[in-house]
Amino acid sequence: MLAPRMVEAFEHAAGAVARGVPGGATGWRGALLHIHIAPAASYEMEALAEAQCVVGRGIVGDRYFDGTGTYSPKPDTREVTLIEQEVLDALERNDPPLQGGPIRLAPADHRRNLTVRGVPLNHLVGRRFRVGTVILRGGRLNFPCKYLEELLGLPVYLPLYNRSGLNCGIEVGGTIRPGDAIELLDTP
Amino acid sequence: MTARLIMKLQVVSAVPTTPDVLRVVFRHPLRPELPEWTPGAHVDLRLPDGKVRQYSLCGDPDDRAHYAMAIKREADGRGGSLWAHANLTEGGLAHVSSPRNNFPLADGTRHVFVAGGIGITPFVAMARALAAVGGDFILHFCARSAAEAPLLDELRIVCGDRLQLWFSGAGRRFEPALIGPPTPGTHLYACGPQRLVDAVQAAADAGGWAPDRVHIERFAATLDENYKPEPFDARIASTGEVLHVPADRSLLDVLRENGFPVASSCEIGTCGSCECGYWDGTVIHRDQVLPLGRRQDRMMPCVSRARVGVTLDL
Repeated sequence: MLAPRMVEAFEHAAGAVARGVPGGATGWRGALLHIHIAPAASYEMEALAEAQCVVGRGIVGDRYFDGTGTYSPKPDTREVTLIEQEVLDALERNDPPLQGGPIRLAPADHRRNLTVRGVPLNHLVGRRFRVGTVILRGGRLNFPCKYLEELLGLPVYLPLYNRSGLNCGIEVGGTIRPGDAIELLDTP
Repeated sequence: MTARLIMKLQVVSAVPTTPDVLRVVFRHPLRPELPEWTPGAHVDLRLPDGKVRQYSLCGDPDDRAHYAMAIKREADGRGGSLWAHANLTEGGLAHVSSPRNNFPLADGTRHVFVAGGIGITPFVAMARALAAVGGDFILHFCARSAAEAPLLDELRIVCGDRLQLWFSGAGRRFEPALIGPPTPGTHLYACGPQRLVDAVQAAADAGGWAPDRVHIERFAATLDENYKPEPFDARIASTGEVLHVPADRSLLDVLRENGFPVASSCEIGTCGSCECGYWDGTVIHRDQVLPLGRRQDRMMPCVSRARVGVTLDL
């Protein structure tokens, strides 16, 4: 088994730069809709009613916590990954129409850990925010991969481009549950 | 390389079809439909200890809710079937991959199938598909006896008089020479014990069958025990990086260690998951799955190696 090689979020090349650049939406308040983990690369995601977040590791039971993920051998920030429900809604209405038609990407299928609503993820690189009592740090934008396309048999690569979510590190660990409030902590 | 989703499926039924063979039907506990498949496809069964075993799907591809497979208890096998027989009972859970087809029905006008024992499984779905459209086929099924012939009742219904039974216990043995010379549009398929598929291949060679008309499904790796691996260097085309592969490591291991996420499953050269392109170099192909025509620029890094060096299309 490979040891997870995590890069601390604000030491990531993207996070480190973004940390020093002001900007981004403030005053929003979002919610955690779903938590999903997979035991190893390629395994179907499973929904959790609550999850333990561990600093420097990830979500207990997830492939990136255990170092068994597809990309685990690559040093990177991926303790927790998030995606917006609003992005999934856009895919389902085929907006923009980059592929043959609407794509229904269920929360169990996109392979990010947390599905959130009302959270501007693209604004959170280099920012601290809380999910319930857990504090996350935005390390870099997530990027769609061809691997996901193959796994799902769905053409999601292009439609997810630039709205694929956020890779985070954990600053303060703890338990999270669907329904938890999500709020920005940094006020630049 | 193609990634395949691994699902946690639930056993709907597990019924013996012979004293040694269990016919297991799975469904997804949360999704009404399973990924699609075509006759000849197999799935990977992932064992709790991390081992992977391949089983052909023998149900009906139009039944999107279920996967059926027949699993033979192999007391001296590699342990997968013993686990399956002990644990796959009604309501039980197992990790099963999306299907992959390395043994599809060819585009022909007549199909000759030769199956030995549990090697019958991929042909059940093929025969059903052909029978449904009035396709021309014959299925030779070799077993010790009717009682030891898996899925026999199902096959009789599907095939009717296109099923030829060869029960050695009754003194009726299949004679591969019966295959004879090829006729236009005819494809030959074999699946079963090594001895049988080797005999079919030899008969096909002797009869003058073109290699692209003969389809052999092999589930057991047949690596040469006397093969002595040598170290070599693998160059990554996109970066120029050179990775050294020592004699005691596989190319797949070395790629993984260096951060290349290559999908894999069987890691014995039979499933085709880790397929990878290469540009130059002399590759020593040791897999069972790549057709001859693709070996000049594709390889299976789990078992295949290179003489001195190879440039990988990565």
